[in-house]
Amino acid sequence: MSSRMIPGTTPTVISKNSLIQWLDQIASQMRLIAPRDIDGNILYRQVGNAAEITWDYTRPVLSIKDVFFPPTEVLFTIEKIGNEVNIRETSPEGEQVLFGVRPCDAHGLQALDALFIATQPIDPYYMRRRENTTLVGLACPEMGATCFCTTMGGAPDDPRHMDLMLHAIEDVYLLEVVTEKGAFLLERYPLVIEPGIQPNTYIRPEITTERLAYPALDSWPEQFNQLYWEEIAERCLSCRACAYVCPTCRCFDVRDEIQSEQGDNKVYERIRCWDSCAGEAYRRIAGGHNPRAAKGERLRNRFYCKYYYFPQQYGPAACTGCGRCIDVCPAGVDITEILHFMAGIAMVEKQAQVEVGRI
Amino acid sequence: MYEPKIIAFLCTWCSYTGADTAGIARLKSPANLRTVRVPCSGRVSPELIMRTFDQGADGVLVLGCHIGECHYDSGNHRTAKRLPVLKTLLTFAGLEEERLRLDWVSASEGEHFSRIVTDFVDTVRALGPVRWRVDRREFNPSYQRAPALQSSPHASFSNATLEQQTLQLRQTAQELLDSGQVACVIGYEQDWRGRTRPTFVYHPEDTSRLVWNQDCTHNLTGYLNHKLHQLPQAGDGQTNNRVAVVVKACDSRAIHVQLAEKSYTRDQVYIIGMACQGIQEKARYDGKVHTQQEPVLQQRCIQCTDRNPVISDILIGDLKKEAPISTGLSNRSLTLTQLEAKTPSERMDFWLSQFDRCIRCYACRQACPMCDCPTCLYERDDSLWVGAAHGWDGVGLNEKRTFHLGRAYHLAGRCIGCDECERACPMGIPISYLNQMLSQEMERSYNHRAGVTIIPTPLVTILSGEEGVQ
Repeated sequence: MSSRMIPGTTPTVISKNSLIQWLDQIASQMRLIAPRDIDGNILYRQVGNAAEITWDYTRPVLSIKDVFFPPTEVLFTIEKIGNEVNIRETSPEGEQVLFGVRPCDAHGLQALDALFIATQPIDPYYMRRRENTTLVGLACPEMGATCFCTTMGGAPDDPRHMDLMLHAIEDVYLLEVVTEKGAFLLERYPLVIEPGIQPNTYIRPEITTERLAYPALDSWPEQFNQLYWEEIAERCLSCRACAYVCPTCRCFDVRDEIQSEQGDNKVYERIRCWDSCAGEAYRRIAGGHNPRAAKGERLRNRFYCKYYYFPQQYGPAACTGCGRCIDVCPAGVDITEILHFMAGIAMVEKQAQVEVGRI
Repeated sequence: MYEPKIIAFLCTWCSYTGADTAGIARLKSPANLRTVRVPCSGRVSPELIMRTFDQGADGVLVLGCHIGECHYDSGNHRTAKRLPVLKTLLTFAGLEEERLRLDWVSASEGEHFSRIVTDFVDTVRALGPVRWRVDRREFNPSYQRAPALQSSPHASFSNATLEQQTLQLRQTAQELLDSGQVACVIGYEQDWRGRTRPTFVYHPEDTSRLVWNQDCTHNLTGYLNHKLHQLPQAGDGQTNNRVAVVVKACDSRAIHVQLAEKSYTRDQVYIIGMACQGIQEKARYDGKVHTQQEPVLQQRCIQCTDRNPVISDILIGDLKKEAPISTGLSNRSLTLTQLEAKTPSERMDFWLSQFDRCIRCYACRQACPMCDCPTCLYERDDSLWVGAAHGWDGVGLNEKRTFHLGRAYHLAGRCIGCDECERACPMGIPISYLNQMLSQEMERSYNHRAGVTIIPTPLVTILSGEEGVQ
């Protein structure tokens, strides 16, 4: 590339070929994480070259959350030799590029940042990964059946929260430089622009979207004691699938576990791993009392946390409308149904709208 | 030459003394054994053995009293039942079967003890170092591309039958609620997206919500226990805490197992049995948008012979028992038989790459109508058997494997094959292979098929007195 690309300037048109070359170049020199097809499941994993990347996906089964906040991470190791104790902090992965990020997932980082970085104490593990990672977004070709990102203030081609943004248009890509970090990556790994591809001649396709009703923040407290929560929770199985696929659910548990033991030489690890309020033991306290013992109370907490507690405490809502929880729920709990209930729209009306083809 | 590490669990009443006898007689036996003295071979739980291998043992030897000589009468009968099942399971997961051995040694049989130990150590030595424990620093997952789905029989549903059954179901539910015979009907409804899901109906006027269609995949019997405990107790004024549940043929077998295990009594449930034409496979969410395809029958339905439930208070619709559409056919490109035919090392690779995806959301366990322990053994706060780790690329993989194999073992002879675990799994782990394999094993060894009648599970509960008798 001849001149330095500056954030906010006109997007450049690049061919898929040069995009692949660029990704190969990155993968050969640092960690490249991208969507991979693993035994029929699309997941963000490290790739050795661009050929391992899957391009045919709406949104991977798990969000990009686990790149920054892995399901289990070792915080530090405690080595005990005789009476001597050594504590070693875990060093995080080096620089990495995360490719193929969907706007809803990048939007999810806003909520995680609000908690882990903007609020004291800062989480050093999360922050280091965040600093070390450049996000290369790829706009969604369409909205999936369960997606509702537009309701949550996002869009299928939203470049916010990305460092670089790509839009696939027929067989070429439109590259947008969003942040300085993105510009820096392009400087280090320049893109080869093939002759013959005229920049600025492509118009972004219109993505038509419909918004769902979104309840006002102050409508939540008065609904707290509704019987409704018990009703919708009846079918809930109290598994944690919804929380673990969610791009913003961020609860964790910290434990010390023994890693190896050889005579007097013992190695322990302090690990933190994902946890979820859906589990029965999550809220159990000393003495065995459980303030959220009922299924309805636990499920209610999930939605209040997303749309009421979190925005109140940290600003953004803890939901990006990715719709993963709707897809994975084995019992058919649907988060959009809750939004409609809160906005005072009966599902019967909603169904009628579906039938007449308005949605 | 490689010297294997062998852990031996010895019963204190016989084989432990037998080892002493061998020592007193100055019989030579290999020094590879690390001995654990236990009060009875029946005390050796599957978790103990799995975790021993996880810690790096090359072989595990369990020695108990001869059949008929147990200090506690029947402890070794249980061992004789459990160990072979566990061995089948561990072998299926990729362990060489020679690495786990069960034998009987009495206190006086020093020579016998020495012979068994020498032979076992020689066998394990010849196998070389064990490949079982996963070290996350060395773990190199063998990611695979998705295998193409095979074509399987297309489902042809008689819509007229389904509609008629729906109407009859609504009427039945209405009568039951109207007359106060039941307090709640657990059935299926359609949500605003048109997806079928479980529903709970309490009022006669709400029975119009109920549906019966080819998407009624959920096994609703899993809700029974919870619901029955939630409702006011019978005899409490005028309230009736009986619950009606809509069941398919497969689900009805779960009721048999639950009754045999005394989860509730027969008079607490009203069973609405549905004659079932099979359930269609819904594309699992795997990260892609799926286009509408021709309806395909679920794996369990392809192999199913039953059309009518095995137990019901009312049967809606009536279908003749049919031969399975195909016994050998599979929705998957890899059948159970093909997986069993692979080498231990290949099976190990297969299962490690599958379990590596597990995020321990416990959807499999929560969806299972048989998994009803108040606190799961594998999720205790004190991390008794498994730690809390659940990452990928080998992080927490030993823990995840113990959870899955342990859960499968606990379901041996109890699993009725509804495949809810696999359906619920967001990560596409083919859990049902484990359950199917063990079901086959229980049928082969004990001629037992779970839930066909109300008989307790032979593996854990029932002893015939013939166990271990050659």
